[in-house]
Amino acid sequence: MLLTFVQWIQLTDFFTALRGSAYVYPIVLSLHMVGLALFGGMILMTDLRLLGVTMRQRPIADVVNQLRVPKRWGLLLTATCGFLMFGSKAEEYYYNAFFRTKLILFAVVIVTELVFYRSVYGNPAALDQAPQVPGNAKLAAALSLLLWTSIACCGRGIGYIEPPLDKIHAQIHVRHDATAVAARGLYIQKGQDHQDVASAN
Amino acid sequence: MGERTTVKYPYPKVLITNPLNSSALAFPVLECIHIVGFAFSIGTVAIVDFSLLGIGMSRQTPAQLARDTWLWTLGGLVVMLFSGLLLFSSDPDMYYLNWPFLIKMFFFVSAVIFHYTIHRKAVSSDTPPPNGKLIAGVSLFLWCGVIFGGIFIGFVYPGLSLG
Repeated sequence: MLLTFVQWIQLTDFFTALRGSAYVYPIVLSLHMVGLALFGGMILMTDLRLLGVTMRQRPIADVVNQLRVPKRWGLLLTATCGFLMFGSKAEEYYYNAFFRTKLILFAVVIVTELVFYRSVYGNPAALDQAPQVPGNAKLAAALSLLLWTSIACCGRGIGYIEPPLDKIHAQIHVRHDATAVAARGLYIQKGQDHQDVASAN
Repeated sequence: MGERTTVKYPYPKVLITNPLNSSALAFPVLECIHIVGFAFSIGTVAIVDFSLLGIGMSRQTPAQLARDTWLWTLGGLVVMLFSGLLLFSSDPDMYYLNWPFLIKMFFFVSAVIFHYTIHRKAVSSDTPPPNGKLIAGVSLFLWCGVIFGGIFIGFVYPGLSLG
């Protein structure tokens, strides 16, 4: 069902046009990277501030609160461009191991944000009042650094895998044929049919 | 004129292949390092530039932010530069003939010079410069040019021929 869904996305007029254009894809990818550079950099600095590595003279609340809005806009830009690239080759992305890993990592990011929101990101003023940055804030920052860096690397990896869609499609057809033949009872009776199926695979 | 001697260079022995090219993982791993490097350098520059534009960390002066981040900017630049040189070494002829690469180098050299001259001067004093927004805009434009050039390298194959 999910496969049918991604095939449908890819075949919409909008994404068919996007796929056909030679310049739109690299421009969208460039904007994706601009978003990564500007706002990925802000995530790095926020996390490093929580870890006490950088901007130590600035209150944590200043860094977290002031960068929140630009980071959200940046995420919107990066995610929109990411979705445009996914939509234009949705079926390829569906089979792409790096893309799947990236989605799982996104889910993990969302879970960690929800877990740490109340104690860390939602209440940075309390972190400033504590004599030392609490352990859970440091854990949240370390996880965030690790996860976002992995997401960026998985994103780069997507381009290195090209799922052999032709072979996958051919295999799906063969499987459909085989089940159709077996339903008519011919599959078991005729030995050579079995051979055909094996060689086609 | 004395006697001519011809020296035969043992080419097959001199031309060793770049070890980077004998590993399938080397290039993508270097690319990831390159990306993290530019997230640090361009990201920290952007924090300062956005503050010049009145976005983001505007409660601090750009000068304070520049003092906070300059080391990370420089560190990111160094990582980006050296990983970039290694990536370049994998196929120098291709890059030399690739027009997005040449544009990227133009933007990169301009951005670095701009950053360490005009931009640096603008964020050196705690009183915000009168043309701060223009300087921030130029800085962001130049760094975005570097990124666009870098992405287009992979989408242009026939070298310098534009058609």
